[in-house]
Amino acid sequence: MTTDIPGWVPVEHRWLGLDRRRLRPAIFVLVVALLLIYGWPALNAIVPWDNPIKAGDVLDLGDGATAVPPVGWQLEDGSLVSDRAGVSPTNDTVKLAKAGAEIQITGAAFDGTAAQFLEQVIRSEDPDANISGAPSTFTTTSGLVGVVRTASGQSGDELIAAFKMSTTEPDAAPALLVEASTVPGSFQQYSTEFQALLRSITPGAGA
Amino acid sequence: MTVTSSPAKSAQLTAIEQSGWGVRFKLFQPHNAAFWVWLGGVGIGAVGMIKYFGAGFDTYRLAVTSGILFFGIYLIPWLYFLRRQNRYTGQPGSLLATGFVWGGFAATFWIALPANAAMLEIWSKLLGPAGAAKWGAGLTAPINEEWGKALGLILLIGLAPVLIRSAYDGFIIGAFIGLGFQVSEDILYAYNNATSTFGENQLSSSLFILGIRGFAGITSHALFSAIFCTGVMWILGRAAGERHVVRGVLACLGAMFLHFAWDDVAGLAFGNAFLTVAMPYLILMPLAIALLLWIRRLASSTERRWIRDLLAPEVEAGVVDPQLLTAVSGLHKDRRHFRKVVHNRHRANLLTESVGDLAHEIAAARGEETPRVAHARHELLRLRGVTP
Repeated sequence: MTTDIPGWVPVEHRWLGLDRRRLRPAIFVLVVALLLIYGWPALNAIVPWDNPIKAGDVLDLGDGATAVPPVGWQLEDGSLVSDRAGVSPTNDTVKLAKAGAEIQITGAAFDGTAAQFLEQVIRSEDPDANISGAPSTFTTTSGLVGVVRTASGQSGDELIAAFKMSTTEPDAAPALLVEASTVPGSFQQYSTEFQALLRSITPGAGA
Repeated sequence: MTVTSSPAKSAQLTAIEQSGWGVRFKLFQPHNAAFWVWLGGVGIGAVGMIKYFGAGFDTYRLAVTSGILFFGIYLIPWLYFLRRQNRYTGQPGSLLATGFVWGGFAATFWIALPANAAMLEIWSKLLGPAGAAKWGAGLTAPINEEWGKALGLILLIGLAPVLIRSAYDGFIIGAFIGLGFQVSEDILYAYNNATSTFGENQLSSSLFILGIRGFAGITSHALFSAIFCTGVMWILGRAAGERHVVRGVLACLGAMFLHFAWDDVAGLAFGNAFLTVAMPYLILMPLAIALLLWIRRLASSTERRWIRDLLAPEVEAGVVDPQLLTAVSGLHKDRRHFRKVVHNRHRANLLTESVGDLAHEIAAARGEETPRVAHARHELLRLRGVTP
């Protein structure tokens, strides 16, 4: 004689308070979910980056805008001009990395000046960050005038630069944000490469 | 009027037994491991969601709240539409809500978010950033997201093995899990779009996402999951005569292919600007809808047989006439034909709904004669203008 009271588990089918007869779906889901959640990151951790910037490579910033990245850094996100990938100047990002240092370039739609854009970025990302007092002006070789600020903290040092990608009508042009960061104590080592990249930023023809 | 025919009654009882229709669903099952996995997945997903939106909530408050509001409203017609699909031996709302919540919290923020981030980076390493930008999303989302959602169906089978039997059950539950995923992802997109402009014009940013994602959502996660989960049910073959492994695998691959094609339009268009814009709407949407309708038709055959068997004694007793039975157990064209025969769309809908009530009461009473069954039968006869 068996019981058919809902929720009653016969003693021979109990395991840690659970019904052993109904473990299979739960175990299957748990195993597959954990494989997806932790398996891919584990595989990602053992696959190395192998996409170094070579001499002559030029970053595509969209609408003909370009920048010259430092040779030897890993291009982890973004496109080169030679890729002909159809980059959006207000949407795409570029990420370059080299031992302890990272450069991130982000395009955005913004109406206003480069200084206003930089203020908006700081306000939205981390208003309490240790950003240096006065912003300074930075002019690229192509004549783009941007605004640069630096930040320093326990986690490292950072340079933030904002540009409007037009020399003729900057207010309505797409904005470009360059964030270069390093682990503590190594900013000086990379500052020449950061400045070279900033100087190389060029708007598209006619902008 | 009484129901006496014994072969018909026997068929009715078999249909009730096989379909599980009328069995109540209860989520809280502390002795069932599937309940704890569901709870853990949804709980971790909910915490992940709060952390994700909470990090920039001060800045992006308007984007998050408007996203929730817009897509909450967007959800209403979807729920109405899917409720209409939950016909034949329909599933309880609480079961569908359990699937929806899995899709909205666990499949998105517990599984897809970390899995996608890692897998996209693997593709960047293997294909280079430009190759990954072109192909990465389509080679990632169909694996992590379709599986993540379908795991919800497996858990629900563990929670309600009697209720989830046919391929059509997979179709309906898959659609609800997919809808939960879709709405959650839409809110995420509204937030992400606002962050890409660093908080400028958040309201118009959310409206833009509503326009884009709302329209594209017609053939998005709800559709993919309905097809994928139907395939899973065919592979599992939980109803008599419904084990079709090859068909099931093809359905799953079909859903994954549609998902891949939708995500990698730019790659598939090979740089052609016209194709990039036109392919999703002129090729992929019609293809997805055609596949969905075909799968739904195949998946419903067992349910339609069950509903015919369930009502067989009522047909023999003259309570349900054959044309009405065909409309209730048939396809869209059968219901359209019935409306023409009745010459009154409203009356035709009332009759089919009333038969649905009777079938539901018979199933809930496990084929026994109860006051509610008698009342449902009386109501149907009243609508038909037949004196008992």
